[in-house]
Amino acid sequence: MKSALVCQTLVLAALALVPGIGEALYFHDKISWRSSIPASEMVSVEQARAWGDSAIWVDARPDEDFAHDHVPGAFSLNEDRWNALLPQFLAAWSPSKKVVVYCSSLNCNASREVARRLRDEAQLKNVFVLEGGWEEWLKKK
Amino acid sequence: MRAQIFVFALSIVICAKAQAELKWEQTTIELHPTPADKQAIGHFKYQNTGDKSVHFKSVRTSCGCTAAQTQKDEVPPGDKGEITATFNIGDRTGTQVKTVTVETDDPASTTSVLTLKAVIPQQLAITPTFVFWQQGEAPNRKTIGVSAAKDFPVKHLKVASSSPDFEAKVSEAGNGQFKISVQPKDTKQPIAATLTIQPEGSPKTFYATARVTTAPAINSR
Repeated sequence: MKSALVCQTLVLAALALVPGIGEALYFHDKISWRSSIPASEMVSVEQARAWGDSAIWVDARPDEDFAHDHVPGAFSLNEDRWNALLPQFLAAWSPSKKVVVYCSSLNCNASREVARRLRDEAQLKNVFVLEGGWEEWLKKK
Repeated sequence: MRAQIFVFALSIVICAKAQAELKWEQTTIELHPTPADKQAIGHFKYQNTGDKSVHFKSVRTSCGCTAAQTQKDEVPPGDKGEITATFNIGDRTGTQVKTVTVETDDPASTTSVLTLKAVIPQQLAITPTFVFWQQGEAPNRKTIGVSAAKDFPVKHLKVASSSPDFEAKVSEAGNGQFKISVQPKDTKQPIAATLTIQPEGSPKTFYATARVTTAPAINSR
């Protein structure tokens, strides 16, 4: 009885693996729409707030969302108008500041892309992505 | 035991058959916009191969930069149509992957994820796009490297500074490689300039920023 149950469990587990293996094979060379980012480059709302004036906030959402509401003092910097917005942000940036980039929610990718460009292209250090984005900031307002 | 496996397998087959009602021609589209393109548009074609109408409940995109439109809300049996996904390129570069999540009232297949991949040509790689000096630091020259893509031959590059406080000179290293040497007149006070980088024969303009900051620098170039 016990061995039959184990056997059935194993069979079901093996069957459940089939679609997973199929997906892994099919998507092995596909790019995830969400950029991966090391945990050390993420920051929580509490941590970022604790940085106080030594943090500079960057809003990676579209212009309309920024115009509607944003973290007080944040700079708008999105990839729709990167070339126009970047100089405004850099004019306020200073080497001692930590940069906190956010987008709309946990699932958005814009903050990761903006952070990546600030690190790779502008070669800024201390650039972090806000965990949970604007939604999380609002929850802990 | 065999009967259980048979029932399980049969249920999978039945589910798979039911899911085939709204059949997509392709769920992934790769686009290669030209440098002049402002948008990349993907057409996801479908057909209702089932025997009852399918209704679209919602169509969501993974990014504010992408809009998706259905031609109709209801797809009768046998009918064809498409969902148009329009990706606004803006100032994005490289490979961009955006998704469109489609929800229907088909109980067997309520959600479909459509993927739009746009490979945006990066004509020039500029590294870094930002150079800075600490206030009071020696106003030594700093270098910005420019590298043209293989399929975008650039013979000459023009660079202009928006401020006379910074001097920018271009030197050609051959094979589409350039060096832009940037120097502030002095670093006594905070100043900034936008450097406009114009490849010869290209309608596209590129930018870099030079600045003298007030605070001590933590990385020098």
